[in-house]
Amino acid sequence: MTNVYIEGIGMTKFGKFVDKSMKQLLVEASIEALEDAGNPKVDAVFVGNFMGGSIGNQEILGALVANELGLGYIPTAKVEGACASGGIALRQGIMGILSGEYDTVLIAGVEKMKHASTADVTQAINAAMDNDSNEKQAGLTFPGFFGVLANRYFYETDATKEHLAMIALKNRENALHNPLAQFQKPTTIAEIMEARIITSPLGLFDCSPTTDGAAALVITRKKGAIHIRSSAQSSGPTQMQDADDVLSLPAVRESGRLAYERAGVGPEDIDVVEIHDCFSMTEMLAIEELGFFNKREGWLAVEQGRTKATGDKPVNTSGGLLSRGHPIGATGVAQLYQLVQQLRGIAPNQVEHARLALAQNLGGTGSYSTVHILERL
Amino acid sequence: MKVYQCDQCEYASVSNKYRCPSCGTGKLQEQDVSSRGTVYSYTDIHIAPAEFAHLTPYTVALIQLDESKAKVTARTNGNVEIGDVAELDHIEDGAYIYRKC
Repeated sequence: MTNVYIEGIGMTKFGKFVDKSMKQLLVEASIEALEDAGNPKVDAVFVGNFMGGSIGNQEILGALVANELGLGYIPTAKVEGACASGGIALRQGIMGILSGEYDTVLIAGVEKMKHASTADVTQAINAAMDNDSNEKQAGLTFPGFFGVLANRYFYETDATKEHLAMIALKNRENALHNPLAQFQKPTTIAEIMEARIITSPLGLFDCSPTTDGAAALVITRKKGAIHIRSSAQSSGPTQMQDADDVLSLPAVRESGRLAYERAGVGPEDIDVVEIHDCFSMTEMLAIEELGFFNKREGWLAVEQGRTKATGDKPVNTSGGLLSRGHPIGATGVAQLYQLVQQLRGIAPNQVEHARLALAQNLGGTGSYSTVHILERL
Repeated sequence: MKVYQCDQCEYASVSNKYRCPSCGTGKLQEQDVSSRGTVYSYTDIHIAPAEFAHLTPYTVALIQLDESKAKVTARTNGNVEIGDVAELDHIEDGAYIYRKC
């Protein structure tokens, strides 16, 4: 139990905003979260961001937020953990409150990617691989890592590319009801299956897009309606060739185990889930690693519709990274935005009587994972 | 092919580590083993970062070595499938380039 509560949430629309700066996106989401929280005094700011320096030439994001919002001379920091930057920023804020140093912390996440070319963005994303390895030099990419996992998954189970398409379709259908989501155009299994291949067997719809956007949270020790029941973080192998079991993401499994243990609940108790579906295959593995379904049987649950908003284990009711969008540093914070809405009963694709919610945020090829479990009091 | 074998447990890797990540106590010892192995899985990459864009489409495979528990990530010269037997052809800019046997 953390005894830390989420008091306010804010989020920009996700998409392409070439006329807005990273700072503008950050400030927009932060002001919304502060207003939602009733404008409390803020003691610190943690910002999740991955490539502001490499493709935006903009750092000092924490100080920018404090300064633009007039928060005073409070401590701030930018937190980098590849695609888990947002989840780790939240966790740093929680740790700061638990330490006794802060009462109220503003957490924000941001990324601006749409102004850069695909080759430049892919290159910048590859900074989250181990440069000093034969694996990176072989030309492995992030989508490529999950492509290798998918081919092995198909080999060991009766799953096919169509099961990955079902995940992509489900998340697109959820995004259609989310006004802040990047993709709001309906699609079909046929369109997903026939889309151009990025890295076999993954096609365009199996891969999360590049996105501009920001999200923010106000967390506090003052008791409120949304309790962060537990926070956990783990690391995993930074290279595919070092994985003990290629169809396992140890960082996800371990962060999930710790989060359940600290919250005193199990996967069966969770009502609604936001998972890091950077690729359709990643969602398949994560629903298994977090214990919602047996190992190598996630595809059956997908086939039976159990992870749909209407299923018994709704996953990514926001549309997920695949269709809500994936502004890298904002993603882990945006997951909490959706889950707080679920627990308040006002979410897109609202799950009835949702009380316990779980967010899992992944960075690198399984290098970082955070899990947060929320409870409506 | 150089691999690093734990002196306390079964763990092995193509990259050296300060201590064995599996048992936490063992030291990794350098060993020379055959590069020959079996394709454990693969992907054909069509979209690549700028530095590899000129190679597309190319195949990256995970090879299970015959003489070690270690796996190695390699680029292959040509298409492969799971179960194919392959061996090191040459090393290029720090990458292992494998070919089907």
